[in-house]
Amino acid sequence: MAVQTEMRQGKKPGILIAEIYFRPAELDISDFTRADLVFEKVDHSGISYEVRAFLNNPEADETTPRNRESEGYGGRFVVFGHGGCYGDIGHCDIPTERRGPHDLRLPHPLTPQTNIITVTRALEHVLHQGAGELTSVTLVPISKDPIRENRGLTEDLFKFSEVELRTYYG
Amino acid sequence: MAVRKAIRGLSPQELTRFRDAITRQKALSDERGYNYFAGLHGLPLPIECEHGTSLFLPWHRAYIYFWELALQDLVPGVGIPYWDWTSDVAHQRGLPEAYTEERVNGVENPLFSTTVEWSRELIDQVLQNPRLRGTLTQEGRTLRDPDPPDELPRKATIDRILALRSFEDFSISLEQVHGDVHVWGGGAMSQVPTAGYEPWFTAHHSMIDRLWYLWQLDHPGGDPPATIMQTVLTPFPMRVADTLDIERLGYGYAVQNAQ
Repeated sequence: MAVQTEMRQGKKPGILIAEIYFRPAELDISDFTRADLVFEKVDHSGISYEVRAFLNNPEADETTPRNRESEGYGGRFVVFGHGGCYGDIGHCDIPTERRGPHDLRLPHPLTPQTNIITVTRALEHVLHQGAGELTSVTLVPISKDPIRENRGLTEDLFKFSEVELRTYYG
Repeated sequence: MAVRKAIRGLSPQELTRFRDAITRQKALSDERGYNYFAGLHGLPLPIECEHGTSLFLPWHRAYIYFWELALQDLVPGVGIPYWDWTSDVAHQRGLPEAYTEERVNGVENPLFSTTVEWSRELIDQVLQNPRLRGTLTQEGRTLRDPDPPDELPRKATIDRILALRSFEDFSISLEQVHGDVHVWGGGAMSQVPTAGYEPWFTAHHSMIDRLWYLWQLDHPGGDPPATIMQTVLTPFPMRVADTLDIERLGYGYAVQNAQ
């Protein structure tokens, strides 16, 4: 559906805004039964972190209440992080070339992953009670340090290739 | 057949037997020991755990299965209990008391923490990373810093995931919730290199495995992709296809979910 690879910075460094546009031809709640934000090639090599998504709320930050109605909160995903590299030089370099058909090794453990936030109800709210169309998704990454008081907005952990809004019908 | 029960539903005798098995396993320093199994998931290298692919559920099923067999060699018939973090009591009180009591009957509770059997150099390497402080003490003992209990995943979220139809959808969604509970615990549990050493790690993964089992019951034929069915789950001598039937593996989950 709508894919976004280019991001702009949100209210603070680390916050990203994807300008994803979605407006169904007919605003009928039965048009889609499920809507997902799908994040591709998400990095999990550092410490753990979470990403919160807000629809049509470019001012969202780490202090924004996770409230669907007032703030456009769509949901979150958590990345369980590898916490850095403990091998020698090159140990955590992810092969960039596709392995041959006779190479039976498993994928490199740090191969970027796919993450999903199901935003069905938040998107329905935007379309039916809000602006009537989706214009942006604000992504707020928050570190998940082992000590709670050290957690906060992070600039260096959340790396990914693209985010796509997928809607499902029937 | 080993029956995995809810940790809060264990009788005092069952909990004592489980604690006894963990205590005995912690006393072993070879490949039958607690540190060996905990280390398969994280440090020391190699980190064997599978995350972010369709191997996540099969690999962790094999992992907990072999860990449980090693415990049964020490205390016959013992099962790894699961922690239902969606339950009302979990949302009110957080971690089960079985894991939070520092001492039981005057002796150290083996479910309270673990001391990693790493080299001094490796412990220092981890602790010198400022973002991993809080996983271990200077002596290498696991630490915790859990979030408020009501931040745990809710039953409605799990019900939605259990209703997903494809294995890939289910696996990705359940793995995200799995990560959520890891970081909820803070401390050692919140990061891959140290998580396996946290004593409630096995109860968490027993719960994840149970949810996959429940999903399998409702989705017959909902197997992992055919392309990975013959993949070997290193370091365990099992293929993905070998993990699909828990009855064949000789364990089951208690129907009665006493909390």
